Amino acid sequence: MNQEKLMHYQVDPWNYYMMRVRRRRMEEEDEMERVMRIVSESAVVIFSSSSCCMCHAMKSLFCGMGVNTMVHELDQDSKGKQMEKTLMRLLATNSTTLPVVFIGGKLVGSMDTLLAFHVNGSLVPLLKQAGALWL
Amino acid sequence: MASQRIGELDFSEPYGIHHRINNPSSSLINDQGSGFDFGELEEAIGLQGVKIRNDETKASAFFTGKPAATLEMFPSWPMRFHQSSIGGTNNKSGGESSDSALSSKNENPFEPESPLSKKASSFCSSDQLQHLQLQQDMTNNNDVIKTASSPKSAHEKRKGGGSTSDNKPLDAKTLRRLAQNREAARKSRLRKKAYVQQLESSRLKLTQLEQDLQRARSQGMFMDWSGGVGSNISSGAMFDMEYARWLEEDNRLLTELRNGLEAALSDNEMRVMVEGYLCHYDEVFRVKGVTAKADVFHVINGGWTSQAERCFLWIGGFRPSEIIMMLIQQLEAVAEQQIMGMYGLRHSSQQAEEALSQGLDQLQQSVVDTIAGAPLVDGVQQMVVAVGKLANLEGFLRQADNLRQQTLHQLCRLLTVRQAARSFLVIGEYYARLRALSSLWASRSRDQTIITSDENSCQTTTDMQMLQPSHNHFSSF
Repeated sequence: MNQEKLMHYQVDPWNYYMMRVRRRRMEEEDEMERVMRIVSESAVVIFSSSSCCMCHAMKSLFCGMGVNTMVHELDQDSKGKQMEKTLMRLLATNSTTLPVVFIGGKLVGSMDTLLAFHVNGSLVPLLKQAGALWL
Repeated sequence: MASQRIGELDFSEPYGIHHRINNPSSSLINDQGSGFDFGELEEAIGLQGVKIRNDETKASAFFTGKPAATLEMFPSWPMRFHQSSIGGTNNKSGGESSDSALSSKNENPFEPESPLSKKASSFCSSDQLQHLQLQQDMTNNNDVIKTASSPKSAHEKRKGGGSTSDNKPLDAKTLRRLAQNREAARKSRLRKKAYVQQLESSRLKLTQLEQDLQRARSQGMFMDWSGGVGSNISSGAMFDMEYARWLEEDNRLLTELRNGLEAALSDNEMRVMVEGYLCHYDEVFRVKGVTAKADVFHVINGGWTSQAERCFLWIGGFRPSEIIMMLIQQLEAVAEQQIMGMYGLRHSSQQAEEALSQGLDQLQQSVVDTIAGAPLVDGVQQMVVAVGKLANLEGFLRQADNLRQQTLHQLCRLLTVRQAARSFLVIGEYYARLRALSSLWASRSRDQTIITSDENSCQTTTDMQMLQPSHNHFSSF
């Protein structure tokens, strides 16, 4: 198999490269689909890490508001690294950004955007719309 | 030999020529006869621009004409006259020539009845200024003129010996020389102007650079210094200085707001001022963020605050819900809807504060567990982990400042422009009183008899009265 690969690379490098790119793009799409699938399962989904304190702060915030959230601990997921990369791509940033929250299947962002929405007064209507908050 | 002697006209030895003239053995000199050639001089006077040539001819005539005895009578005068009359062209030593020119300016020490002296003096006086000018400019042309003049004068003498009335070739040469001198003078003037202009432009550049430096320093150049570029100032101390500057700016803006409210400016103008004040706050949050990257403990612990402020500190700054509560109680003429909005804002910020505090508690717990649980022998690993966890502190400070910033912006959205201005004034006043409280407390602990000291007594009582209501608010928290 390796022999084949080597020959393929030597014989037709451009096509080989394009094949690799296509495969990676498909993987990325798979990841994205997976993420989308996860976030659509619940009204509020938090991607967090069990050892991260800011994630704990976000979880406490939602708890304090009385919102049930689905928490996805990426450090306990087998594909956690890839999902983290996908999230970083979604947020268009290069630094690790956990926690990331999705409300109603739509991306909200990291902690600072969440706090901004909350102070704005736009978080509560959003939660109500997603069905995470009653009253 | 004689021509050389005449041509040299060596003024370094003022009486040298005098001596030479005493030996009129040269045939050339005596060829012109014993008398002075007035015809030559009249022609010279006629041609005003060629004074140098005339001086030369006069001088040559002098040397040829006057017997040594006459010169000996006034040993000092003839040479000066000679020097002045010959002017700048034949300066062998520039300084001497200028001296002679100046002295000859003041006096023309000659027998007034002598036609030569009269004419010469008048000639000299009319051209003194030009002489002076030329002499000043000729200092760098001396060599040229020296070399040019000696062969020329020698040539002149030879020619003069031949035909006394034929001055045209001499004129041309002298004219050319004069023109060259003028050119040189003009060039040196231009060079001087260029140099002065260069000096002026570099002076302007210097002042501009100084202004840039001032501006950069005021905008927080400490960001470069926190990297440790050869400075002993820590980033914490730099932040203290930045904060002090921010406080001064704050005072200035608040005074402007107060004056604006009292003067009842239009809403648009007030809005501009309010937005400027919001930017001012944004600035301090930005600077805190930058400093936190270098020294997070200094900012979180509030080393830059006064003691009373530090007592009520929450993650390196004010607690937004406290400020909102204070405003709700202090602001007057607020509509019902606005009060409801402010209560809602307070509620949201309280929830956020709670969440951040809990996150910070968990961080503390985690760090304590890591450090306390480290085995005695090999604690390095654990320390590294603990240091990594402490890095999260910066994130919490960032979120806390973000919360404060969002609260202030939302406040401005909820209230009218004048109410926003008044609320900023209330906040500013509150912090000023907190700082006064700190200083009062410090002086109280130093000097127990504060009531008896005259200068403090009034201030103390009024401060206590002012502080009473605001202090009560926060006892509930």
